[in-house]
Amino acid sequence: MSWIKRTWTPHEADEWTKEDWLAIVLSPLSFIFITFGLAMSLFLLPAGFVMLAVGIIASALMFWIIDPKLNAISEEYETKQREYLSELEKIQRWEDKT
Amino acid sequence: MVHFTGLDYFWVIAYIVLTIGSGVIFYRLGKRSSADFFLAGRGLPWWLPATSNFATHTATDTPMWFSGWVYRSGMYGLWGSLFAGWCAISAWVSTRIFRRSLAGTQAEWQTLRFSGLPAELMRGWMAGWQVVLNMFVAGWVGIAMGNVCQWAFGWPLWYGLVIFSSICCIYAMTSGFWGVIIADVQQGITMLLTIVLVSVWAAIAAGGPKAIVVKIHALNRPEMLNPFHLTGFASGDYSFLWLLTLIVVPFFGGFGMATHFDWFVEAQRVQSAKSVKAASYSIWWGAATVIVRNAIWMVAVLAFFVLNPDITDSNQYQLAWFRMGFEYFPSGLVGFFFAAILAIHFSTISGILNLGAMYGARDLYHHYINPKASEKQIIRVGRIMTVVIMLGSFFFGMMIGKDVSQWLFFALWLMIAGTWLPNILQVIWWRFNGWGYLSAWIANLGICWLVVWILPAFHVLPELKDFQQFWILMGAVALIYFPVTFLTKPDDMDRLVKIYVQTRPIGFWGPVRREAERRGLLAKMEEIELKAERVATHQMGAEGKRKSAKSEKKKNKGSAARTEKRPVKKTVKMKGTGRKASKTAERRRS
Repeated sequence: MSWIKRTWTPHEADEWTKEDWLAIVLSPLSFIFITFGLAMSLFLLPAGFVMLAVGIIASALMFWIIDPKLNAISEEYETKQREYLSELEKIQRWEDKT
Repeated sequence: MVHFTGLDYFWVIAYIVLTIGSGVIFYRLGKRSSADFFLAGRGLPWWLPATSNFATHTATDTPMWFSGWVYRSGMYGLWGSLFAGWCAISAWVSTRIFRRSLAGTQAEWQTLRFSGLPAELMRGWMAGWQVVLNMFVAGWVGIAMGNVCQWAFGWPLWYGLVIFSSICCIYAMTSGFWGVIIADVQQGITMLLTIVLVSVWAAIAAGGPKAIVVKIHALNRPEMLNPFHLTGFASGDYSFLWLLTLIVVPFFGGFGMATHFDWFVEAQRVQSAKSVKAASYSIWWGAATVIVRNAIWMVAVLAFFVLNPDITDSNQYQLAWFRMGFEYFPSGLVGFFFAAILAIHFSTISGILNLGAMYGARDLYHHYINPKASEKQIIRVGRIMTVVIMLGSFFFGMMIGKDVSQWLFFALWLMIAGTWLPNILQVIWWRFNGWGYLSAWIANLGICWLVVWILPAFHVLPELKDFQQFWILMGAVALIYFPVTFLTKPDDMDRLVKIYVQTRPIGFWGPVRREAERRGLLAKMEEIELKAERVATHQMGAEGKRKSAKSEKKKNKGSAARTEKRPVKKTVKMKGTGRKASKTAERRRS
């Protein structure tokens, strides 16, 4: 699926792209389908099994899309975290005037 | 009245010892630094905060209001419990942004996102409000325990409130967030297991899932099995507009921060995760477990409904889940069930006590009273605040008394209706400034009382439905903060650039981005795209080379198959023995 980007440089991953929007759309859908799908499945209602399957597939697809991007963001950010934390401490102690 | 056997007492005592032990054992870790006492050192793998999210989301009052909704509305009631849906979008948007800010609390975020006096006013206000609110929430959850104990054992209401919150306070005070999160893991597992067991027992008691469906139809309530049952566009109990509100408010709230009360609790877990990815995953999986829990819970409540279809007193039917456990579990397992109720109770109370203490110690004491405080002093104040919040919860708990659900809607929803949109705007729109945000909070505080209580009492407003109140509140408060925002200056550009570069928020941040690019803090979009193109071309080149090498390999394979296969002898020196061992590996030459 070349339309979905699976390799990211840190700079690219920092931008909001269609992969984020796909995750944003798929995530609530999977929550709704899993909630009602599971509830109806537990009462053996046929529509429930279909909804549950859709919910699980939507979740799996969402993670497949967003996981590589989150990896890139996390790796890049962790290199800067120490510096950001020391700045935060300055604001906390009123040492930073900006 | 519930009667315990020796085995039941064993379960309860063993569980209390286990909980206190698993908390207190982390005393040394908790006292290392304030980051350890409040954020478990900011280095947790995603599944720890995820389990904690689930455990904290499951409080003693949760099965009460959940039972109430499902008993009244059947599967439609699940929509009301979907407010955990804010995590669906938040996991990929606001959680990511907040984790990158590294702000320990939502109050701390104010001084990172906004600048000058309004930022400090917001931080002080939010910290003070959170201290009081956490007292209220701990009281509310605590009194739910008081109600359960009164129903089960005939105890006075305050027994359940005071005894079990005090036990929680022991480990929340000694080992801080380390104790809370480790206890949450075993509590989360215990409660999920028990929820499944109660539903299985309840389904058996009602004759099985199919029998429940048949009985619901026989009771002439088929709509209880249809979660999409509507009574009209705006009329009836299950109108389209009400459903739309139940979908829009939680899910779109995920773009913002603090659009739901649970955000404040989850924000602490977000910052305790070791990376941005771990934070996102913890929020998503924690909420996913909550929605699975709701579906499983529903089986027990609908089983209770078919067994007791004629209850009209909400105080009675909101105890549905508890009654299924106490009345249908066999002797000896009832104590296990009560231990699980304790797990549900402890996980929420301990988290709330530590969270309130964090706002008190880090945002009020450290930031405003003693900025030069040592780590030791901050932890000491944190411990004192833990006790103060517990004592405050006793006052609020006794004030709420018997009807726990009555407070839920007002406290959880309407009090944040006016700030719902500003909480999103602060993330997605650079021009929304500190004064606008501050004015939204102040206006909401006054207007929510007016719209919900005062104006209807004087017949200035008619009796409004819940969703109508929500949208009216949102619109009325917007009439105040939009003019305030445009009549005051934008936030300081240095601050905006700093937060933009660090957190990379979503939405309308064009001028800030351009300024960051001008200062050389960010690569321009074109440069990024160019770089991406180069990487893609390089990859395609590499892919092309790989492909041609593969086809070459294929060609050679045919000729290689024709040549004689001979074994290749490989000599390996065995470590430690000093002797040589010969290893023959069958290799195909290619």
